[in-house]
Order: sequence, then structure tokens, then C-alpha cells
Amino acid sequence: MAAGNIDMIHVLFFGPVVERVGINAIQVEFKPGMTLQQLRDELAEKYPHAFEIVCFSAVNGNHVRDLAMPLIDNSEVTFMARFSGG
Amino acid sequence: MKEAVRIQADDFSQDEEIAALKASSLRMGGIATFLGCARDFSEDREVSEISFEAYGSMALSEMNQLRLEAIEKYSLLDARIVHRICTVRAGDNIVFIAAGAEHRPAALEACRWMIDELKQRVPIWKKEITPQGDAWVTQHP
Repeated sequence: MAAGNIDMIHVLFFGPVVERVGINAIQVEFKPGMTLQQLRDELAEKYPHAFEIVCFSAVNGNHVRDLAMPLIDNSEVTFMARFSGG
Repeated sequence: MKEAVRIQADDFSQDEEIAALKASSLRMGGIATFLGCARDFSEDREVSEISFEAYGSMALSEMNQLRLEAIEKYSLLDARIVHRICTVRAGDNIVFIAAGAEHRPAALEACRWMIDELKQRVPIWKKEITPQGDAWVTQHP
């Protein structure tokens, strides 16, 4: 879903990360060539306390371990703390 | 019949899950199960409730993948995984895993493997609610 004519990345937060970010979703303007690492760095600068506990990243619901992965517009990206289910 | 992999708020019936597992094959000679339930004590403090949150679509997808991998890896005849996402009290059920195989070693190993993998890769988080306040259960990287 683009906001106006601007392509966006949809970032979701859950559980302990939400608590530190203060909201459960934000939108970041997509820039051509943007990587997951660049997005992570941008958000970590804005929410340093939250990113202290971020261990995992996912794009469109799939674990991504290579942060050099290029993003495409309208991607759903999640930065997650260590899991504690079960 | 209910799906073999589910996320739900409601409690589950172990008998129904085992019956569903057994119904999948008459060659099943061993069934191993794991039941995770809520404790009233953790990290030296009383816990009155535990609240779960999940990245629902990804958690379900990972659990389905986990089941398929377990079936392949251990030559299971069938497997089931159910995780509750809600607030539970001490003694309440949280997660149920069942592995059915021709013989017990595969069933036991697969059941252990599935709960260990679930904890590592399924995006579910729990918050312990204690008399001293709430705290997400998480560790620093």
C-alpha cells in the first residue's frame, strides 16, 4: 500500500520490541537500492533502546539472515527480539 | 477435523489431538507428546499470569514448515503442533506437540526436536505478569 505516490516499507514490531518502540507499526519511505541493513541502521538510530534486543529480521514473513538483502517497495519487514514461545 | 498445526486462544484437548494423529495411519506404533504448561514461578519470582503475543502469519507458517521438516527428517507418519496465544494462568496449557512414527525412537526424537526448534524459530513472545510488575521474557543477543 503506497501512501500517496510514495512507495513505502511497512515495518512491524511485536512484544518486547513494541514496548521499547512505543508503537507496533511504522512506515518508512522506500528508496531504490535500499537494503535490509540500511533500514535496520536507520531504525536503530531512531530507536536504539529497542534495537538492543533485536535478534532476528524477517521480510514478508520469512526469516532473513543476510542483511545485505535488497528490499522492494511495499515489503513487510519485522525486527524481532529473541523468541520465548513454547 | 482440525488442522494439524494451529495457533488459537482456546485450550486444546490432548485426547482429540492424539486421536487425530492416530487416525492418520494404522502403521503408527509410537506416539510421543510434549505438553508445555504455565508455571507459577520463574526467575525467583511468583508469576500470576503469562501473556503470549505472536507474529501470527509468520508463526503459523514456521510451525507448518517445522512439522513438514520433522516428518521428513524422522520419517514420521504424522505430527501435530498447537500453540495458544492468549493469557494463561499457572497450570494452564500452552503448547502441545505430538509425533507419530512406526517405532518409538523416531517419535521421541522428533517430538524433542520440534519443541526445541519451535523455541528457536517461531515468532512468539511471552510476558510474565507478576506481583512486582510485567516483564517480557527475552534475553539480550
